[in-house]
Amino acid sequence: MAAFTLTINGRKRRVDADPEMPLLWVLRDLLHMTGTKYGCGAGVCGACTVHENNVAVRSCQIAVSQAAGKRYTTIEGLADAGDHPCQRAWIEEDVAQCGYCQPGMIMTAAALIRDKSDPTDADIDTALSDSVCRCGTYQRMRRAIHRAAREGKRT
Amino acid sequence: MRVSRRAFLNAGAAAGAGLIVGFRMPGVAQAADAAPAAFRPNAYIEIAPDDTITLWVTRSEMGQGVRTTLPVLLAEELEVDPGRVRLEQAMPGARFKGIRLRTSGSGSSSGTFRALRLAGATAREMLIAAAAQVWQVDRSSCRAALGSVIHTPSGRTLGYGRLAGAAARQTPPSDPPLKDARNFRLIGTRVKRTDGPAIVRGGAVYGIDVRVPGMLVAVMERCPYLGGKVAGFDASKALATPGVRHVVPIKSGISTGVAVAADNTWAALKGRESLLVTWDPGPNRDFDSERFIRTMEEAFSKDGYPIRRDGDAEGAMGSAATTLEAVYEYPFQAHAPLETMNCTADMRKESCEVWAPTQTPETAFNDIIKTYGLPPEAVQVHTTLLGGGFGRRLFVDYVHEAVELSKAIGKPVQLLWTRPDDMRHGFFHPASVDRLRAGLSADGTALAWLHKAVGSDLSMFGLPSEEEKKDLQRYAKDGSPWGAYDNPYGFPAMKVDYVPVDSPVPTGAWRAVEYPSRVFARESFIDEIARAGGKDPLRLRIDLLRPGNILELGDQRIDRGRMIKVLEIARDKTGWATPLSSTKDRLRGRGVAVNSYFGESYVAEVAEVSVARDLGDLRVHRVACVVDCGVAINLAGLEGQIESGITWGLSAALHGKIDFRDGRALQESYTDFEVMRMDESPAIETHVVPSQAPPSGFGEHSVPPVAPAVANAVFAATGRRVRRLPITPARLRA
Repeated sequence: MAAFTLTINGRKRRVDADPEMPLLWVLRDLLHMTGTKYGCGAGVCGACTVHENNVAVRSCQIAVSQAAGKRYTTIEGLADAGDHPCQRAWIEEDVAQCGYCQPGMIMTAAALIRDKSDPTDADIDTALSDSVCRCGTYQRMRRAIHRAAREGKRT
Repeated sequence: MRVSRRAFLNAGAAAGAGLIVGFRMPGVAQAADAAPAAFRPNAYIEIAPDDTITLWVTRSEMGQGVRTTLPVLLAEELEVDPGRVRLEQAMPGARFKGIRLRTSGSGSSSGTFRALRLAGATAREMLIAAAAQVWQVDRSSCRAALGSVIHTPSGRTLGYGRLAGAAARQTPPSDPPLKDARNFRLIGTRVKRTDGPAIVRGGAVYGIDVRVPGMLVAVMERCPYLGGKVAGFDASKALATPGVRHVVPIKSGISTGVAVAADNTWAALKGRESLLVTWDPGPNRDFDSERFIRTMEEAFSKDGYPIRRDGDAEGAMGSAATTLEAVYEYPFQAHAPLETMNCTADMRKESCEVWAPTQTPETAFNDIIKTYGLPPEAVQVHTTLLGGGFGRRLFVDYVHEAVELSKAIGKPVQLLWTRPDDMRHGFFHPASVDRLRAGLSADGTALAWLHKAVGSDLSMFGLPSEEEKKDLQRYAKDGSPWGAYDNPYGFPAMKVDYVPVDSPVPTGAWRAVEYPSRVFARESFIDEIARAGGKDPLRLRIDLLRPGNILELGDQRIDRGRMIKVLEIARDKTGWATPLSSTKDRLRGRGVAVNSYFGESYVAEVAEVSVARDLGDLRVHRVACVVDCGVAINLAGLEGQIESGITWGLSAALHGKIDFRDGRALQESYTDFEVMRMDESPAIETHVVPSQAPPSGFGEHSVPPVAPAVANAVFAATGRRVRRLPITPARLRA
């Protein structure tokens, strides 16, 4: 066990943890931030996606010891009022079904439109196809990402 | 699930001076008729003096949108904004005793349609009567709108909350008027998901998100062998792992093993890694799914159960100018919901509290009472949101494990399945094989259809007894050959036999239960008959369903007219008459399939595919779906479920299978049990047939036609028939 100071959603958080503990479990079990989901533990489903210095990463693949000194954003901190263009577009397009994968999907999409303000379908395929939605909401997500990009530019 | 024509209403004063209207489901109608004193409603609305309207939700939310649909049904008749309805999740026991809370059979909307509307209408009528009394006016001069009663001549209004006390003293109407469909303001529109805002902010609470003070987190090393068990284990290294508190053998689930309970998930996982367990592989260590498929094929030579006989099919085969025969194969499939199985349990000496993402909280409740001898009032089962259900969460094996563990360690604990646990230890969709034969006359007219369906009875609720199998209608419906025995087509002669073959693999309801495998075989073979007879496959289906009459099979009534209708719309909406043209690089084609689920909803699908000329790559570009499921309550939800089912079906058609070797399931994650992802996901369009028929299910119904529609499209494109799922490039080339 060792002490680590992490920056999460703009706040410094101190945790005592096994240095190997993945950020996913630090968030969920130590900080009780459960918006970030466990899906596979192997980086293949995307449910645990967060931003590391504004880049989408898999929190199940990052040891807490590597996380110190970097800035992380989780679904809870994506926008203060929960009104990031992706979050608004997701509601507008009525994307979610069971909803379990959606925080990870939104974090992935938010990183995409930050990089590319007007993503093409091919960009969306590239960014989102490492993530799994077992309910199959893919086409609604695609529409939501295009909508978020449009509205993000407007604001 | 069927909706009875009757719903039983009961209304009276609530303890809190509010108005409570309870209603009950048809399934327990007889008990109510016999003993009205024991009448207990299965769900309630409550209108409190502060204007709060509460609805107790009697189904699990697993993505099908029940927390959106049920408030719509209530609000339509109660005349309130559905967004104002506060939701409480119903819990088994107490006032919900004996009442169905199970979520299955695509029955969330259809099973509550009439009952919830009646509850809303009853409350509305009592509120109107109360207002008329307060104002001393004729009640016919009053109406309800947006949470208030309005005296039309004077324009006076009173909110429901202020009327609640007076309304509770009104006599409940025995037959409250339901709105005419023309006056619906909510039913048939698009209503957004209730939980959408919580979901997109990460605030929606699934089973895995439950946090109970003082709880530990556990994972379990599971015996990898089907039916194997723990021979021995050494816990010393695991217990030496920082954060690990307990190591306990667990026997109550479908796979026995050893649980490691720790302060957090990571510690539990680390502890599990250092656990030393030796296994007794048990009696199935040689089980091999490839060999099992061969065993099932050998069973084609057996007679089996004669589940359908129309005319003399064998005789007709003798006089046929051409005969066709084909064998289809469907592998074992996993559910693989994104939220793995988990349950949080707090088992104490004299009470038990459980939080579970379950489709069947009453099973958990009853099982705990029975297993531990607790009184019902000491057991609480909370249903959380479900990160996918798909039939897997009809089983409470993971609840049993968590309760057993909590009891053993004397603390609340969350038992979490890892992804490989979830992939390898489930109630799988059974593997099956189907042999189809047909006889055609010289002009290509179909004369006879012979279907021998081989597979395993679902083991989920125990295998049927020999006595039960004697009732063939019931066995066909409870057992494996859905889609085979209720074949909707009107062949001059038909013979369907079912041969059960036991397997040690736990099997259970998958999305659309048994239909996906048999409908794949049936709808592919119809295509083969069409091709052999030089007929258009969509046209042949319509011809075989003429004159569009009702086919009665036991308690099923298949309306062939509705089936023809969905096919005709599919034909017209997809440009079916004009074949897709291939390009320099890719072959293109369209395929169609159709199905009815217990005669309740009708779905036709047309898939458009392209295949690389070297057959090295297959893509599904578009799936058009036509659905007739009676009154559509929430179009947005209906379309979502259709899209979801099609994507589910495509995952199985193109990728999914679970293999067993040496008695163990091989696949462990989404890397080797692949599912559809964004880049493969086709355009999906849904056409809803306008209908005034009672609403029927749609959560599973778009699954079965997908695989045969794709296989038929692949044939149209390439001239190659793939009869084994999944349809992979390797199988296309074979």
